[in-house]
Amino acid sequence: MSETRKLDLAWFGLVLLSVGGAMLGGGQGHGFGVTVLVALVMGLKVRIVCGYYLELPTATRRIRRAMYTFCYGMPIVVILTSVFGDTIARVTGALL
Amino acid sequence: MSYAATALPHSPPAEGPPPGGPIPGGRIPGSKAMWVGIFCEVTEFALMFAVYFIARAHYPEVFHAGPEQLSLLAGTGYTLMLLTSGWCVARAVHSMRANRQSACLRWLIGAFVFGVGYPVIKLFEVRWNLAHGLNGEAGMFIVTYYYLTFNHLIHVFWGLLGMIWVMLRTVTGTYSAEEYSGLESFAVYWHTTDIIWLMIFPLFYVLR
Repeated sequence: MSETRKLDLAWFGLVLLSVGGAMLGGGQGHGFGVTVLVALVMGLKVRIVCGYYLELPTATRRIRRAMYTFCYGMPIVVILTSVFGDTIARVTGALL
Repeated sequence: MSYAATALPHSPPAEGPPPGGPIPGGRIPGSKAMWVGIFCEVTEFALMFAVYFIARAHYPEVFHAGPEQLSLLAGTGYTLMLLTSGWCVARAVHSMRANRQSACLRWLIGAFVFGVGYPVIKLFEVRWNLAHGLNGEAGMFIVTYYYLTFNHLIHVFWGLLGMIWVMLRTVTGTYSAEEYSGLESFAVYWHTTDIIWLMIFPLFYVLR
């Protein structure tokens, strides 16, 4: 498959994931499962952009590590905030 | 001496990055200076996201009800505009690697048109928000939302200005298949701005 074809498919996949993600927001269910699903969709979209558009796999190790930490850290924080929201509020409340 | 032989160590190779997985050592896509800027941008947004999560932990009910107040259609519109603009930029870089300057310019014009769609939608959304009483005094969720999204809008404006610059440089024939690090530097900035929006969108429009 040519590189440009991969870019086209990546764009199409991103559009599908975005519309699917938006439908999650419009739906009625909003439990922990939906939060995990939202975080997974976020992580997948970011991975596609990093891999195909930013070309991170060919970048230096330092750039790759820093960007992947940020990109994959966010979905993890989304889930952690959902699980440990009370603890975060207590700790930050004490600090603030 | 050929141009490629005198290029800086971080300049992209003539044929672009090799296909496949990680390469030993790797390369710096674009320029080192742009990556310094990108890491500053990422740090800035990481701090703002921290504010979001702390606020969310303190006001879970407010953030649970928050997305219902916003226009999901506008949020999806931003996402599609930015993703399509990013795709056009990626195609522009590939066109330049293939030494097709005119195709590169056409892709950049496409990227600009879709990129401008973002502030246009923002204009309509802000008017819609204000008409529905969603101003700076509408609570923690809306304040955090304006704080993050307006900051992102500023970065989009910088990107659009950068896009005009690389279009001008493409028209004047500054870039070639051998040296296009300026174009690639702009591309990595635009894609990073894209990534940040892909995080903002679910946090404010989807997650409850």
